[in-house]
Amino acid sequence: MLDFTEASLKKVLTRYNVAMEKAMTPEEAAEEIYPKDELIYPIAKAIFEGEEDDVIEGLQVAIDAGRDPIALIDDALMVGMGVVTRLYDEGIIFLPNVMMSADAMLDGIEFCKENSETAPVTKGTVVCHVAEGDVHDIGKNIVTALLRANGYNVVDLGRDVPVDEVLAAVAANNPILVTGTALMTTTMYAFKEVNDKLLEKGYKIPFACGGGAVNQDFVSQYALGVYGEEAADAPKIADAIVAGTTDIAALRDKFHKH
Amino acid sequence: MAYASADEMTFGVSKYPVKAGLGLEIGAGYTIPEVNYAPRPEAGASKEKLVREYERITTDIMARMVQVGFPAVILETEHVQQMSNNPSWGAEVAHAQKTIMEEYHDEYGIKCALRHTIGDIRENRDFLQLRGDKYSVFLEAFEECAKAGADLLSVESMGGKEVFDYAVLRNDIAGMLYAIGCLGSIDMEMIWSDIAAIAQKTGTVAAGDTDCAQANTAMFIGGGLLDKNLAHTLAILARAISAPRSLVAYEAGAKGPGKDCGYENIIIKAITGMPMTQEGKTSTCAHSDVMGNLIMQCCDCWSNESVEYHGEFGGTTVQCWSESLAYDCALMNTALETKNEKVLRDLLMLSDRYRDPQAYVLAYDNAYRVGEAIVKDGDNIYLRAKNAAIACCDIVSEGAAGKLELSRFETKALADAKASLDSLTDDMDTFMDDCLTKYKSEVKVFLPENYGF
Repeated sequence: MLDFTEASLKKVLTRYNVAMEKAMTPEEAAEEIYPKDELIYPIAKAIFEGEEDDVIEGLQVAIDAGRDPIALIDDALMVGMGVVTRLYDEGIIFLPNVMMSADAMLDGIEFCKENSETAPVTKGTVVCHVAEGDVHDIGKNIVTALLRANGYNVVDLGRDVPVDEVLAAVAANNPILVTGTALMTTTMYAFKEVNDKLLEKGYKIPFACGGGAVNQDFVSQYALGVYGEEAADAPKIADAIVAGTTDIAALRDKFHKH
Repeated sequence: MAYASADEMTFGVSKYPVKAGLGLEIGAGYTIPEVNYAPRPEAGASKEKLVREYERITTDIMARMVQVGFPAVILETEHVQQMSNNPSWGAEVAHAQKTIMEEYHDEYGIKCALRHTIGDIRENRDFLQLRGDKYSVFLEAFEECAKAGADLLSVESMGGKEVFDYAVLRNDIAGMLYAIGCLGSIDMEMIWSDIAAIAQKTGTVAAGDTDCAQANTAMFIGGGLLDKNLAHTLAILARAISAPRSLVAYEAGAKGPGKDCGYENIIIKAITGMPMTQEGKTSTCAHSDVMGNLIMQCCDCWSNESVEYHGEFGGTTVQCWSESLAYDCALMNTALETKNEKVLRDLLMLSDRYRDPQAYVLAYDNAYRVGEAIVKDGDNIYLRAKNAAIACCDIVSEGAAGKLELSRFETKALADAKASLDSLTDDMDTFMDDCLTKYKSEVKVFLPENYGF
């Protein structure tokens, strides 16, 4: 092998992830923003650590102390998840941490529902699907986890979803947003059909699309399309809609990067 | 190990060259561009449109190769789902493509071959159905395409993916090991025994598989240096574990060239001595990676992964990318002819060796070591996958003690993974039983009967 021992890497590469790394560890960063309430703190911490059993234990303690189970969803579970999503957005923690925390949060929400007569209120409903003919769903699974982590009710239609099934779910659930993911160029064509049928039925609802071969130029070809380059864009698009930006052109202006 | 040492490996030369198609001998002292493409979305509307699209693609590539004076080319058609679900569609495309290639071969003498990569259609909307009704259609697609003109048969099979998708998003190393190393290998043995038999029957070449569904998923989720979706130290672990899984195809009768997106192919070449296709800097049309030069180091065929067919300033996309590939091959072949191949190999490798832990482990000398770890327990699908993972951890740790820079996050992910591996049993039956129980309960879409359990 050529001798590279004395050679410098400076003109060959830079590992920017090392150069830009934050000084604080994820645990230290989380500790700084956990809620201080002594009943809420252990629940939020258990969410961050992705420990389902500890989440349930913390919720039980809080319920025994008189806290309302449904209120705990917003006051404890979503607060803990807020720590997680904030640190993810800031680049301090990675996606698997978010997924494990989301699993723990969903278990917690189920536990709260089981211990209450009333139903929780969410930020809004999002219908998610993988394009008809396409069975690649890991991207959609990430999108649904991130949406749930951000407080949205998700109607997950799964993969290889017929266009009419998307329409039926929109009619039944009154979503603020529809998402579509696809890996392959040949299946993403179904997005246009979803778009056309939504318009035909009078739904002017943003339709966020992304994944594999999907690109901004393609999504921009149909009236309701908003391109999401990253799965993490989905909750941001939903947040923008909840905050009042429902116009497709305005959403494109905000989220189209190219 | 097919090679006595890592240094023996170079591009364009394999221990067991493969004759295929119209005058090609792959891995016999020269590298060959392998062009891959995808039809435009609207082309899937009917069989006629699809066949016409592939005719245009094939003609464009062959014409450009001749116009710029390149001596050899391989075309790879990765099936869109309609072509595998309806084997007659795939066969008709293969026939149309091969007819055009034969015309160019007859007129200009250009050596060429056609690879068809059948889609892994063995699933329904809710579950993988690896041994269900679609298995016979899947095999029929191979046979029909082989009879109609395809020379090289491949697939990107999906065994284990349902568990892997769950595990990789949860930093679950045992789950990744089970999904790729065990479930993937079990499925590979079944399908590649059948594909090799079809190849033998039809006089074609069973060329090999790639762990695209799992190791590439990890690589893509890992993304670039600033992406925060998966530590690159875990992405390379998935890759190392994928090598013993993809190796199963060759143990079951495949001859190579292994398929382009198998970045694990360098490890498999070290073990089998069979020719391999790779992709890197010329597959940026399809995806980014962090080892675009390095991965060219020991390729026999050089691919662009895939590009959608449409116009560019320099011609259609397939013309532009085939020309880029062929120029790279011309450079490698010049190095071979002037006996400078090891210098070029090392320059390619060193330019990316320290760019990322993924590149570091796939550098040919380290890849060779992963290969040695695999063959140590070559008859045990669990242990050889575990050995590959442990070797990968050790190699990255050694690299980090030198010029390979790791972020604190990557270092911690590596340490956690190593601890997880160290805690695993050495007994395959115990591991398989424990995992079966765990993932049956945690992964709703995991059907044990897919693997004969």
